[in-house]
Amino acid sequence: MDFFMDFFGSIGAFFSGVASDFYQTMIKDGRWLLVAEGLWTTIYIAVCAVLIGTVIGCLLALCKISKSRFLRGIANVYTTIIRGIPLATQLMIFYFVIFAPMGMDRHLVAIIGCGINSGAYVTEIFRAGIQGVDIGQTEAGRSLGLSRLQTMWRIVIPQAVKTALPTYTSEFIALIKETSVLSFIAVMDLNKAGDMIRNATYNAWMPLLSIAAIYLLLTFGLTKLFAILERRLARSDRG
Amino acid sequence: MIEVKGLVKSFDGNIVLNGISEHIEKGEKVVIIGPSGSGKSTFLRCLNLLETPDAGEIWFEGEQINTKKCNINRVRRKMGMVFQHFNLFPHLTVLQNITLAPTLLKLQGKAEAEQNAKRLLARIGLLDKADTYPNMLSGGQKQRIAIVRSLAMNPDVMLFDEPTSALDPEMVGEVLELMKELADDGMTMVVVTHEIGFAREVATRVLFMDGGQILEQGAPQIFFENPENERLRDFLSKVL
Repeated sequence: MDFFMDFFGSIGAFFSGVASDFYQTMIKDGRWLLVAEGLWTTIYIAVCAVLIGTVIGCLLALCKISKSRFLRGIANVYTTIIRGIPLATQLMIFYFVIFAPMGMDRHLVAIIGCGINSGAYVTEIFRAGIQGVDIGQTEAGRSLGLSRLQTMWRIVIPQAVKTALPTYTSEFIALIKETSVLSFIAVMDLNKAGDMIRNATYNAWMPLLSIAAIYLLLTFGLTKLFAILERRLARSDRG
Repeated sequence: MIEVKGLVKSFDGNIVLNGISEHIEKGEKVVIIGPSGSGKSTFLRCLNLLETPDAGEIWFEGEQINTKKCNINRVRRKMGMVFQHFNLFPHLTVLQNITLAPTLLKLQGKAEAEQNAKRLLARIGLLDKADTYPNMLSGGQKQRIAIVRSLAMNPDVMLFDEPTSALDPEMVGEVLELMKELADDGMTMVVVTHEIGFAREVATRVLFMDGGQILEQGAPQIFFENPENERLRDFLSKVL
């Protein structure tokens, strides 16, 4: 009997310890506000960046498949440079070398930097999507008298979007995780919020595991959400 | 209607068309046969410039079309093309497949184009498929819809690139039947095919291609009964 009492007693003590740790590190002194603010920063920077990345990706993917050697060259140089340098290094160059001397807000730099970075990956996703559409589709469109642009816009791209969507959404999810390097330019994102709490409370495991859980919930939730959207899209395809 | 002079085309130094000159009159049904790799599909695809010839001239309705000055999109409206693999647009319904080009090119209003498409679908007995997507259809149905998609542009000539080669045997008949109807309506047709029976029955002229050249041609009776060319005799003995 004593054994069981001790056992359950120690489990109870463990959980009450955890709860108290959680309260001390994450709730007390309004520290949860810090986490909420960091989460918001992470989300809005990722969303804005992916929008910029999508615009860049659309334009550069069209450059990559264009007949013009010049446009193809520009797109290739862009994707090679951006994909070949770590995001943290890029952000520091953008901030400390280019934009900070101009006095630009660090959040704006973060959005632009992540957007430019994401654009390179989105370019490749869109290019692969477009080139994955059977050449016969283009030939059918052109043989009906449609121009290159009309064929691209009305026939190839709608099909490319459908095939590119899963990789595109996972790029967005990857971007959410990659914004964790934003503390390199002193932007307080979710990761930085956790780190600041660790510093303030001398407790490492509670804040770090907490923000890890938040990241996981965020990415897992989005993965599920996008999967539902993709199934919807696939269903409309079959009428 | 179509005039070809000294057509040359090579892929990576491999000569596929070796100086072809040919004249196709309005109302003709020209069937091109020949072994695979003989250049017959490439020849057909040069006629609407899906392939750009390296040398030679292609004239259509009095206009040279393989020059920079020519607006090829405008020319292609008058040249329907049917492909071996149908190439229906999978993201559009059957009706949208047919109305896309006429409405996008502002040749017909939406209502007019839909009415026209439904008339064409009714003609091939597939009106009930107007709102389904291509992947719900059989190969024969797909190909017949591809044919009426081209017809919706009111072309002056129809080019067929092995239209039955990708079909299951039991579906070949329905496609050939539609092509015969078109021929009876007086459509100018250029058909690359392996269907010798179709050539016999429908063609006004049969061309035999091998090695990038037209080796023999003539009316089907003469062409099939008394082939002169050695390679044509050899070819016919294998396919007949």
